[in-house]
Amino acid sequence: MTAPALARRVVVSAPVVAVAGALALTTLVMLVVGVDPTLAYPALIRGAVADGNLEYTVAAFVPTLGMALAFALPLRAGEFNLGGDGQLAAGGVAAAALALLVPLPPVVAVVLPLVAGALAGGLVAAVAAPLSTRLKIPAIVSTLLISTPAVALASYLVRFPLAEAGTGIAQTPTLPDAAHLPFLGGSGYVTIGLPLIVVLTGLWLYADGRTVTGYEIRATGQNREFARYGGVRVDRVAAVALAGGGAFAGLSGALIVLGPPYRFVDGALTAPGYTFTAVAAVLLASARPVVVPLTVALLTVLQVGGQGMEREAGVPSQLTQIVQGLIIVIVAVLATLQARRRR
Amino acid sequence: MYAAELVEVTKRFGPVLANDGIDLAVARGEVHAVVGENGAGKSTLMSILYGLHRPDAGEIRRDGRTVALRSPADAIRHGLGMVHQRFRLFPGLTVAENVVIGAEPVRAGRIDRAAAARKVAALSERYGLRADPSALVGGLPVGVRQRVEILRALYREAEILILDEPTAVLTPGETDRLFEVLRTVAATGVSILLVTHKLSEVMAIGDRVTVLRQGRVTGRFTTAETNADELVNAMIGRSLAPSAPKRARPVREDPVLEVRDLTIHDADGVARLSEVSLSVHPGEIVGLAGVAGSGQRELIDSVTGLRGAVPGVFLAGTPVLAGRDPRVAYVPEDRHGRATAPGMSVAENILMGAQRELSSRWTLPTAAVKRRARDLVDRFAISAASVDVPISALSGGNAQKAVLARELTRPSRVVVAEEPTQGVDVGVRERVHALLLAARDDGAAVLLQSSELSELRDLADRILVLYEGRVVAEFPGDATETDIGRAMTGATA
Amino acid sequence: MNVFEWSFLAGVLTATAPVLLAALGGLLCQVVGVFNIALEGQLLWGAFVAVVVSDLTGSAWAGVAGAVAATVLFSALLSIPAVGLRADPIVIAVGLNLLALGLTAFLMRQIFGSGGTYSSPDLTGLPDLGELGLDVPVLREQSPLVPVALLLVVVMATWLTRSRSGLRLRAAGQHLEAAEAVGLPVAAYRHGVTLAAGALCGLAGAQLSLGNVTLFSEGMSAGRGWIAVVAVMLSGVLPYRLLLACLLFGVAEAFGFRLQGAGLPQQAADAAPYVITLAALVLAALWRRKRSHEHA
Repeated sequence: MTAPALARRVVVSAPVVAVAGALALTTLVMLVVGVDPTLAYPALIRGAVADGNLEYTVAAFVPTLGMALAFALPLRAGEFNLGGDGQLAAGGVAAAALALLVPLPPVVAVVLPLVAGALAGGLVAAVAAPLSTRLKIPAIVSTLLISTPAVALASYLVRFPLAEAGTGIAQTPTLPDAAHLPFLGGSGYVTIGLPLIVVLTGLWLYADGRTVTGYEIRATGQNREFARYGGVRVDRVAAVALAGGGAFAGLSGALIVLGPPYRFVDGALTAPGYTFTAVAAVLLASARPVVVPLTVALLTVLQVGGQGMEREAGVPSQLTQIVQGLIIVIVAVLATLQARRRR
Repeated sequence: MYAAELVEVTKRFGPVLANDGIDLAVARGEVHAVVGENGAGKSTLMSILYGLHRPDAGEIRRDGRTVALRSPADAIRHGLGMVHQRFRLFPGLTVAENVVIGAEPVRAGRIDRAAAARKVAALSERYGLRADPSALVGGLPVGVRQRVEILRALYREAEILILDEPTAVLTPGETDRLFEVLRTVAATGVSILLVTHKLSEVMAIGDRVTVLRQGRVTGRFTTAETNADELVNAMIGRSLAPSAPKRARPVREDPVLEVRDLTIHDADGVARLSEVSLSVHPGEIVGLAGVAGSGQRELIDSVTGLRGAVPGVFLAGTPVLAGRDPRVAYVPEDRHGRATAPGMSVAENILMGAQRELSSRWTLPTAAVKRRARDLVDRFAISAASVDVPISALSGGNAQKAVLARELTRPSRVVVAEEPTQGVDVGVRERVHALLLAARDDGAAVLLQSSELSELRDLADRILVLYEGRVVAEFPGDATETDIGRAMTGATA
Repeated sequence: MNVFEWSFLAGVLTATAPVLLAALGGLLCQVVGVFNIALEGQLLWGAFVAVVVSDLTGSAWAGVAGAVAATVLFSALLSIPAVGLRADPIVIAVGLNLLALGLTAFLMRQIFGSGGTYSSPDLTGLPDLGELGLDVPVLREQSPLVPVALLLVVVMATWLTRSRSGLRLRAAGQHLEAAEAVGLPVAAYRHGVTLAAGALCGLAGAQLSLGNVTLFSEGMSAGRGWIAVVAVMLSGVLPYRLLLACLLFGVAEAFGFRLQGAGLPQQAADAAPYVITLAALVLAALWRRKRSHEHA
């Protein structure tokens, strides 16, 4: 393909059109409520990439990418995992509990809580699998219903059994030093969570395209009857995909807790809205897994930049949620329009 | 003046020319048969007349006037009624509701149930279409459901009644009763368009016949002045099909596929299969005939393992494995149902089932997978831009060839083929037949299910007939269609 | 703790009303075969607009009307792409739920100048039935929308079974091809019910922010729209069974409230409705499965 042809294809590709459309509509919202876009957008960019902020953006990229995998992996098998918040909180609280309650030697003190977080998240998500495959309760509903109690349970644990004594703040004590994730280079925000999640993303991409399991997951998602006919154990594949997704969410929770400020602060995991930023990013990638890290990066910039915009230009950062919602709607519309044109 | 006319109607679906300049005229009060083999374009033509499809070219006239039929609602308004092959009934509504829906009698804002029941009862009486107006349609036998569809059309005062393969699901007794009803209806001046591929029916009830082949009209006859041979000629373009060369039966080896006393109940406790026994030996094709829903699905799902571990099914002497027994090659009926994943590439579709054998441990050897797919695409003469395009980009015939390529290259000695030539053109059909015969000659035991008796007679060494979940008859491959057809309808030979 | 106190029953009814109104919308969609999971976002949007309009005009009823109108408009964002263009209704709904969350939080800051919770003495809520002269236990402190919700259950049940349009809607949901074959305008029905669900979610939102309480807080729908989706799944598209399912949620929430009063942590109260709803869903599915197995 020639360079101009490639450029043309990128420009009219669904993600680019969707983001452009969503930004246009958001600008419209700004104009309607009297926000000056020429102030807001530069503030947004500065908020995400200006000195000092960029580091924070990179740090936020880590859990968002983790949550993107949590949604994308089950989606490949045709299951909607909207319960990311519960899995995230379960992973975080499991990691915090292990680090606080069990004295562990260095290295192990980091690795085990991460594993525990992944296990906890995976377990919470896996509950939805038999509900979907045996009882025909859609995962999109069951994962959500399970999420709230899981968040509540984590919150309870943090406020009572694991609470820091004497402060009255809903948080655990600081985790022991051995459980702190080492920083990357000279950064004060970015930990080794970044290379870890990048490597895991690479592994997932490889597994998705190049392994038997990945193939069977995709076949299950594309046409469950086809996969069953081909001898794939679709119930097990769906369970693996959901549990795997939950494990990524749980790991993300653990990474947050083991990073600064090295404790589980109630609400701090779910408040930034990683789950749905990730959902928007994955849907934006429109069934091209390789693009997921890029769309996650884009939406993280938007999300973090939104906070900068709020600080600098006084524009509420929730504007970025509007952009995300619009992106999802536009992507879905583009998908049908494209499918129709192909016919 | 004709009651209805189709003039130069042309309809294309992608690369397939389903209707090619078809002219068809129906007089008032006549029973007009439209015959042709599967895929000849009959259903498309009737769908156009009923407003379900719009023709690419040509026009439709009612009582001499050109009409535009954009939807079934338009067609109903113009006095057309249709009884579909797959009934268009609401299972959760009563007979009366199913009949009156769309033109319900209303009193004081509410549906006047009494009036509806009265009107339905009156119609039933008049045409001898017995059905309890207050019964839920979901629980009714097939024959009664069909009556409900006919009642609906008559209630809407249809002047032209289209019936698409109405006898495919009926027993002989029900068929006779249906024909009586149709005669009564026609006598009141309603024109009847009867779509069928059964010549005996055409001769029994038709006044005139239009024959279609490959989307074109290949003959127009008055039944009183023609005979079955002439119709066959027009239908298949040659006088009686020369049967494929049948091999002299070799000394029988032990059967590779054996079913012993298989009984299967559905979720409602109704027996779908009762004490079915059969065996298929290496190097033979056993045909499976029967009207739709006689237990074919249950039998095939049991044999392939898709129904789980069913007692009584043996492959090479050992019980069938649950899930999908890898020892069976299986060409399913519906390409969009289970045979393909439309969004996946040709290579990925061809891979299904072999992914674990081709892979060492976890990794899928992508290059080898594609090489193998390209090889099969060549060997089976599948026309595809590349093995990376989604299989949905292929024509139906090429997709079917890809399915056959996948299944027939499995290391299996049992082949199960379900309607393997449904909806494919003649060239592909011949190719598919050649492949199945080649598999047989290589020593495979082939179980072939088909609703086309000509196909079974062309290919099968023996033909088993299923009726209401039982094997009711066994014929040699060269038995007459009449004999097989009679057994299919439960008539004891 | 006496579960059978009038005040407990009143609490059940209060908790049930918004969920029931939204669920009626979901049921209507389900009747025609539209799986509407955008109820959560619409409920939130309705609650927000109700407060804004009531605050602006000083009239709670104007707030209700505004909520209904605005939520019908919002539901067009579902009906046009999902019904008109046949885009994936689930993905669209996920997007709209997120959009509602963002839009309400954003506009709240723009209009009221701060986030979190907005309440003000100037904000008029819906009157109690007691004030309107219906001074009977249980109903005394409910808004007029509560009996309206209960009445709508009866109206919808009767309408769906007795009327011509009800019959046609039910038919369209049972068998798409059959509905088209008898000439029913299925697409128009689908647009219609999606917009009607928007209107009902508008009512639900107004009841939540002007009836149950008199305030708006971010994310105050708190999963009620999803509970409504589950109620629809449990209902078997029968309005009376839908009412039962919603009452189950109402009991769970009121009970959770009581538990909290009795010293149990707030988290238990938060989780209770979800745990109970999920349990009901699982039990219903198990029961269905058992029944079909008994036949086999």
